[in-house]
Amino acid sequence: MRRREFALLIGPSLLVMFGLLVVPLIRTIQWSFQKVQYGEPGEFIGLGNFSSALSDPRFGRAVFFTLLITTVVTVMILVLGYLVATGMNRLGRLQPVILGAMLVSYVLPNIVGAVSFSWLFDQNFGGVVSGIVRSLTGAELLWFTETWPNRIMVIANTVWHLLPFSMLMILAALQGVPAELREASKIDGASPWQTHRYVIIPAIRGILGFVCLITIMDVLRTFDNLIPLSPQADAIGNESIMLYIYDVAFRDGSEQLGLGSAINVLAILLILICLFPFIRGLLKEAKVRA
Amino acid sequence: MLAPFIWTALSVTKPTDVAFANPPVFTGYTPTFEAFVDLWETTYFAEYLVNTIMVAVMSTVVALVIGIPAAYALSRYPGYVSAILLIIALIFRSLPRFSVVLPMYEISKALGIYDTSFALAAALVAINQPFTIWLLRNFFAEIPKELDEAAMIDGCTRLSMLRRVMIPLLRPGILTAGIFVFLLAFQEYLTALVLTDTSSKTVPVFITTQLGQTLPMLQQAGAAAMLLTLPVIAIAFIAQKYLVAGLSDGAVKG
Repeated sequence: MRRREFALLIGPSLLVMFGLLVVPLIRTIQWSFQKVQYGEPGEFIGLGNFSSALSDPRFGRAVFFTLLITTVVTVMILVLGYLVATGMNRLGRLQPVILGAMLVSYVLPNIVGAVSFSWLFDQNFGGVVSGIVRSLTGAELLWFTETWPNRIMVIANTVWHLLPFSMLMILAALQGVPAELREASKIDGASPWQTHRYVIIPAIRGILGFVCLITIMDVLRTFDNLIPLSPQADAIGNESIMLYIYDVAFRDGSEQLGLGSAINVLAILLILICLFPFIRGLLKEAKVRA
Repeated sequence: MLAPFIWTALSVTKPTDVAFANPPVFTGYTPTFEAFVDLWETTYFAEYLVNTIMVAVMSTVVALVIGIPAAYALSRYPGYVSAILLIIALIFRSLPRFSVVLPMYEISKALGIYDTSFALAAALVAINQPFTIWLLRNFFAEIPKELDEAAMIDGCTRLSMLRRVMIPLLRPGILTAGIFVFLLAFQEYLTALVLTDTSSKTVPVFITTQLGQTLPMLQQAGAAAMLLTLPVIAIAFIAQKYLVAGLSDGAVKG
């Protein structure tokens, strides 16, 4: 393909991404060094926003909470995704129906799913799940106002929402593993565990890495589901970085755009650190191909 | 997996005084569709639904029209340029939404297009473009290059080859990408929250504004959630075939 053709074909897409992603991003970086209100030109204040963000204990709490749920959810998604996909792969004729039912939690807007999810726990809505937990354990857990029960609920909801997509990716990968490979390992006397550990998992390693990457990206920007699930997020230490930015920079009465932008920039750095191993892997691969 | 959905369905079809009883009541009431009727009559739900669907359709069409050629070019142009562009796209996919959406809020106000479906759809095209081209590029990468060459020897230009050979060949892949992009736009809450006010509000934003209000309004929110869910369930059942097939054909091997 000639360079001119390449430019012509990719031009519109690049133009849109430049105008609507790069330009706003540059504005955010500018704002992060300014004291600024919506609709007014800002005033340069150097690193002031960064130092006030970093000295705010709320920022540390938000980073801790975000990293905590990212780690827990990613591990759960990989393990559960693999197990469910393996089971699903053996289903046969029922597979389409069950797959369709499972996909509902993924295709629903996250926030709508979270509203429904919150009603399972909400006493005002009868709270079926909290009722079951109470009768099983005798513990009266305050799902919305206590730190750990709330975290468990948020993690459960996030896994519930993200699992179908990961499962689907893994299922697609499993269907691409040649049957001969499985047979060969069986003939060689491998136990089912050994087959999974040494044959199937290495064969789909690429996809597991991709699922891991996508999950990390999605959970790092947790925002939507906390609105219904954790109405007092800040008070109980369950505020995500995105929710913190929203609170500082957009919610009525607190439109500290500069501070919010500084947190945005810090969040970008954090995300880049988390993604670094994946980006390095991709670069290496590109070098090999080129 | 369906429990929250079933529980919501039960709650919104109960009379208001029973719906919020604790412990929950399962029998002995007459189901009612009052919440749905109220939703329809006392709120602008129909309008919000039209907004949501319009934004999703517009942004899907535009995303594919500009994304397909870009993805094709990335799959065919050799070397470092494509790889770097794809990595940049990946980074953009992972950016915190607010870092682009808050400036968009100000820019759209300055341009006078704040609170229009057009602005929201344009924002979503851009936000979802990195994902769109990643997915589509992987589908194109599966098609052997010799096919392009054959078509071009037969007298096709690059563009007509793309239109006459590639797109028909890749229909399942494009369908898969289209479903994903549609869902992403349809689900979007944060961007719609920031870029819309009253006239182009979408259903997810509407549902959250109903929370923390009176009990009947809460039930209306549930009814809205149900109405939004039902068509989406249909999509899930129809789409799962294409999603699995599409993913195992292309995206997965990336």
